[in-house]
Amino acid sequence: MRNYDLITPEGTKDLLFGECIIRREVEKKLMGLYLSRGYSEMITPGLEFFDVFNLNSQYFPQENMYKLTDAKGRLLVMRPDSTMPIARVVATRLKDAVLPLKFCYDQTVYRTEPALKGRSDEIVQTGIELIGSELKIADLEVISAAIDSLRAMGMPFSLEIGSIGIFRALVAKLDVSDHMKEKIRRRIEMKNFPALNDLLDSIGSSPVITALKKLPALFGGEEVFEKAEELMSDDNITGLLEELRGIYHDAVEMCGEGGEITVDLGLVNKTDYYTGLIIKGYLQGHGEEVLSGGRYDKLISEFGYDVPAVGFAVNVNAITKIIEKHGELPKIPTADAVVFAEEGYEAEAFKAAASLREQGMIVENALFTDLDSAREYAVERRIPKFIVIGEDSKEALL
Amino acid sequence: MSRPIRMALTKGRLEKDTVGLLEKLGFDCTAVREKGRKLILPVPDANLEVVLAKANDVITYVEHGVCDMGVVGKDTIMEMNGKFYELVDLGFGKCKFALATKKDYDFYGGYGIKTIATKYPNVSRHFFEKKGMDTEIIKIEGSVELAPLLELADGIVDIVETGTTLKENGLEVIEDVAPISARLIANTVSLKMRQAEIEGLIKLIEENL
Repeated sequence: MRNYDLITPEGTKDLLFGECIIRREVEKKLMGLYLSRGYSEMITPGLEFFDVFNLNSQYFPQENMYKLTDAKGRLLVMRPDSTMPIARVVATRLKDAVLPLKFCYDQTVYRTEPALKGRSDEIVQTGIELIGSELKIADLEVISAAIDSLRAMGMPFSLEIGSIGIFRALVAKLDVSDHMKEKIRRRIEMKNFPALNDLLDSIGSSPVITALKKLPALFGGEEVFEKAEELMSDDNITGLLEELRGIYHDAVEMCGEGGEITVDLGLVNKTDYYTGLIIKGYLQGHGEEVLSGGRYDKLISEFGYDVPAVGFAVNVNAITKIIEKHGELPKIPTADAVVFAEEGYEAEAFKAAASLREQGMIVENALFTDLDSAREYAVERRIPKFIVIGEDSKEALL
Repeated sequence: MSRPIRMALTKGRLEKDTVGLLEKLGFDCTAVREKGRKLILPVPDANLEVVLAKANDVITYVEHGVCDMGVVGKDTIMEMNGKFYELVDLGFGKCKFALATKKDYDFYGGYGIKTIATKYPNVSRHFFEKKGMDTEIIKIEGSVELAPLLELADGIVDIVETGTTLKENGLEVIEDVAPISARLIANTVSLKMRQAEIEGLIKLIEENL
């Protein structure tokens, strides 16, 4: 049998030194932001029952989840997402809690990605969920938190907003099967114009079909709304467009310098449980979104509690990758002092080091029995202060 | 000026056709034509950088966003899938996926599970899944036509252009699977971050197809 004792599974990696510092800093910044906005942290188990992710609307394809069984033979998965577990908790233990509820999280999710594509199967996500409000102000709250999250990374960003509602309202007017609607959705998502046109031509021609054909091209800035209004005259849809335009204006105002707000009416993602607003965040120089979220008013009801919600997740792995690519890895902080113990003075040396640490210094105890090796170690590590505890204790600056 | 837009081209025929198209748009592609062994080449007046790669790699580079756009055959897209925008059917590189068997072979007859040899296992699986037909798929790297001749497979799913190879080996197309042509694809973030440039280029291309 072959041994794999020296490597990690595909899609996973060890982080060392500066990599850890960057990752923890990103997590700390983001979580600090959410806590300062009044969100409280939720930690859910890394293992969940498969059933939690196998609701009527299967948001996560089973082939993309890591599965195992518990001691009773029941099927478990490694959490592929944090929103569903939070929905589960809200629908059970927090059913009677006063709304709205605001949660943030910082935990790893696991998904099987195709092999040899350079993707991680283990992704750290931080994010927020705002549960129990269907108001526009809740959408704006989440957008504002998303803007702050992107801005905190200190590089040019862009936040894109859209609404799945417009697509849903348009296809609802077509007399076609759900299967056909899904085909249309997929082509719009891929902005696959040739295939979308062929498909829609096979259904017929009407203003709705013309609007659907143009939907994936409706992205950019303010001008998108004007173009959309020309194409869509239905009251219901005009209402949705007006609503989104209002959100867009507020977002532009909140964003200010350093970032850009854009709109894409062709955001109609697949495995998403979104029902209204959709947001995606990008940082310059990275080929995939680093933030994604939206409104999911029907998800929690699948756990038996009908309550609206909106939120987003930030892909911490992607952000650390960008930071590592563009900047230098931060240096590990070196100790301020090394304390060497002469024979028989070990306990005293540890006590001396402890009292220096209380003053806020980083202090190492030298793990050598001879003075020269300890000194050499301190010089090599560039530790400025060398302290000897013994018959007559002394200090030296190196 | 910002970094040039990077466009990955599938080496070979699609590369030549795309260069032809770019020249038709009035861009100077001398560097690409006289490339030698270089793999990244400038098209200066278009603020474009051409990257030459194998078909599958075009998709990989575009998906990761290290190339903003790409030109690749629909065959590769169907086999690889992935997350990118498929913006324009460029109309060249036309051919088709087809199911072929030995001449006069009753492929759909009998109840035995049929064996398919192909370089495109995903395309084949998807095609027969839609028919609700269980098949055994064997991946072949070289000349797929050999498999039915050697009686390893009942049929093949492969790219057919003229059908000459099939005919010379006593095979025939019994069903078309899907038409193929070259596609212009774009990274999902690049299209948003460099919208004006990419949309401008696409408009030019569409006008000149």
